[in-house]
Amino acid sequence: MTTEGRSGGGPMYTQSAMFLAVLLAMPGAAALGQMSRATLVKQSDIIFIGTVTQVGAVAVPEVPASDRTVVVHVDQVLEKPAAVALGAGDSVTVQTAQPGSLKPGSQATFYTTGWIFGQGVAVREVGHEPGHSPVGVADAQAAVARARLEMNDAALKAHIQKAAMVVAGRVEQVRPAELAGGAGGAGGAPAHRTRISEHDPQWQEAIIQVQDGIKGAQAGEQVVVRFPTSLDVAWVGTPRFTVGQEGTFLLHKDSTTGSPESVIAGRSVPAYTALHKLDVLPKQDAPRIRALMQKP
Amino acid sequence: MRTRVIAATVALYAGCDGATRQPPPAKVAGVRVVDVIPVSLSGETWQDAEPFLALYASNAQLMAASAFTPNPGGSASGTAPIFVSSDGGDTWTLRNTLPSEGMTADITHAVGATPPVLYSGILKVPGVPLNELKASDFLSPATMTLQASRADVDQPFVRTAQAASADRVYVGLNDFDAPDGRTATVDVSVDGGATYKSRRVETRATVGQNGPSIRPAVAQDRTVYVAYFGWRATAGSTVTSDIAVVRDDSGAGGATPFRDLLDPSDHLPGRLVATHVTIPWSNAPTLGQERIGSTLSIAVNPLHSDTVYLAWADRVGTGDIYTVHLRRSGDRGATWTGDLRTVTNATNASLAVSANGTVGFLYQQVTGSDSSSRWVTRLEQSRDGFTTHQDAVLATVPANSPPLQFLPYIGDYNGLLTRGDRFLGVFSASNAPDSTNFPQGVVYHRRVDFATHRLLDGSGATVAVSIDPFFFSVPVLP
Repeated sequence: MTTEGRSGGGPMYTQSAMFLAVLLAMPGAAALGQMSRATLVKQSDIIFIGTVTQVGAVAVPEVPASDRTVVVHVDQVLEKPAAVALGAGDSVTVQTAQPGSLKPGSQATFYTTGWIFGQGVAVREVGHEPGHSPVGVADAQAAVARARLEMNDAALKAHIQKAAMVVAGRVEQVRPAELAGGAGGAGGAPAHRTRISEHDPQWQEAIIQVQDGIKGAQAGEQVVVRFPTSLDVAWVGTPRFTVGQEGTFLLHKDSTTGSPESVIAGRSVPAYTALHKLDVLPKQDAPRIRALMQKP
Repeated sequence: MRTRVIAATVALYAGCDGATRQPPPAKVAGVRVVDVIPVSLSGETWQDAEPFLALYASNAQLMAASAFTPNPGGSASGTAPIFVSSDGGDTWTLRNTLPSEGMTADITHAVGATPPVLYSGILKVPGVPLNELKASDFLSPATMTLQASRADVDQPFVRTAQAASADRVYVGLNDFDAPDGRTATVDVSVDGGATYKSRRVETRATVGQNGPSIRPAVAQDRTVYVAYFGWRATAGSTVTSDIAVVRDDSGAGGATPFRDLLDPSDHLPGRLVATHVTIPWSNAPTLGQERIGSTLSIAVNPLHSDTVYLAWADRVGTGDIYTVHLRRSGDRGATWTGDLRTVTNATNASLAVSANGTVGFLYQQVTGSDSSSRWVTRLEQSRDGFTTHQDAVLATVPANSPPLQFLPYIGDYNGLLTRGDRFLGVFSASNAPDSTNFPQGVVYHRRVDFATHRLLDGSGATVAVSIDPFFFSVPVLP
């Protein structure tokens, strides 16, 4: 996807705003009116501009035709997962949100989720923005990209609000976690006893020296963050910590291992976790996080 | 899309000890090997490990398969995928119908009597609780229905049997909340998954738990066998274990199931097929980038439940990393042969017995060493107790490439079943598009250029090699 329009600043934003205003003023724009673009983007993983070629039909043999299925010729892909083979000129089967909401020849920006992947792609419509041909591709791309950015910010803000502590700092030490009552179960299970499982998280503790206490902490503090070191599939994608690592960390009170306390220099302290990919961000993101916290 | 089919020819030879034999890959007539990844996901690079397969006896076209394959769209929809074939395994589609955020941890499944009912046991993401699921129509886009759930469970392994009134579902699992450390458990449903009862199968003292693998096998006369690891002692990362088998002769629907096979040594349920074996528990790359420690499979002759086969892996101690053993009982588990097959440095043993009594033995073995080491996936079959056997090498791929993304690298198990005159199964392996890697031939539906050994995405750009699930079909020895 091109980034044209995002770096352009004012003019493109103005143009996109006008585009959106036109869209909202058009008959049939109820889909967008009922659901913000940010919401549509948030719920979608495949977004494209397309033209309806058939209704009550399918483009792939794996999907039964119904009054909710339409075939859409893809004019431009705006967002898609890298794994998915989809490009301009392809035909996509769309299960519409509402039967009869699309007519042959109508062009729209389709917000969808992947449904069936076989010889072709079938998607489920989250919503669509009707548009008269030709739709401004660059505008649509810019609008989707901006909505994605807004959605990412909203998700991060929600994550900040859930965090017990937000700090910028440096990992000073990594050590094995000593959990009261044995290793905890995966994902919220209380610790019962030592168990041998391929899903064992193999908890370790990172001691983070707080350099900037953004929420719930002061500079100079040390905090204990538990993280899994297991290579097991159950923990794939979970943030890991290494000595010397710097970052901005969104920390949550440890409700996963079943052992909420740890020890620093002989004193009991709360233990935290950072298990979500949004919990570990670059150090340079601290100003962005402060700005999001102040944003109403 | 470019599909390449490499032709197959015929060979049959007598077997000998697998620890020393390294025959050139032979070609077997009628073998199909199909990369399950569809053309519309040509850009995928995930480690699609630990595959599994479900088949319908009454409809040869319908199949379900799974692997550690993520929802291509990420976790936002709260669903994870399953693969479906409606043409006998020639092509596959990915459908996001499992209630798990983007991917499952463990997953197995089996079919109901009336197609296309499907039962599945998954460890759900996040938190990996057990979810026991049912789809009334696995071809439907609807998310599978949750029938039971609980935490602290490992490796759900689903088998089913068809009864006149309702499907019977058996989910072998390791239940850490079981009393007295006797964690080997089978969740039994006799009402199509509407209700489950957790049946403990271990009757002896353990180290605090059993091994992860608890494997049921069901015959048509409702005889149910369950194999499990009786972990008796640990020392570091080494477990001393018994290999045990329990049996129930009436579908395990009674009040005290799995008590029909006693060991003569202590008269307790659970025949001890091998005792004090050494299990190397290694949750780290150990064998060709794979972890090891819980390889176990059992299969019963569906029409003659007296005959049952068992395979497990342990460390023999002769310089091996991990060794698979295969044994047979012809008297309902009361007595067992010695090793019919002993395969060094192998894992992922899976067994199936066809209606004519031929046993299929699927495994994945590391051959060679260091940079020349390879994962070799074989299906052996025999009808004479492995005095002779047919050997089909389904894949022989580099063992050190691609690098692992997580564990398991290719799976803690794979899948083998039989229907009619075919053995049907799935395994995971490198998808490097080199025809010499697939001696029986292979079909890719994802975009590929065999001439340049490149995988391609939708735009024609090169895609990194990764682990894919492969479906296969091999004729049963007549």
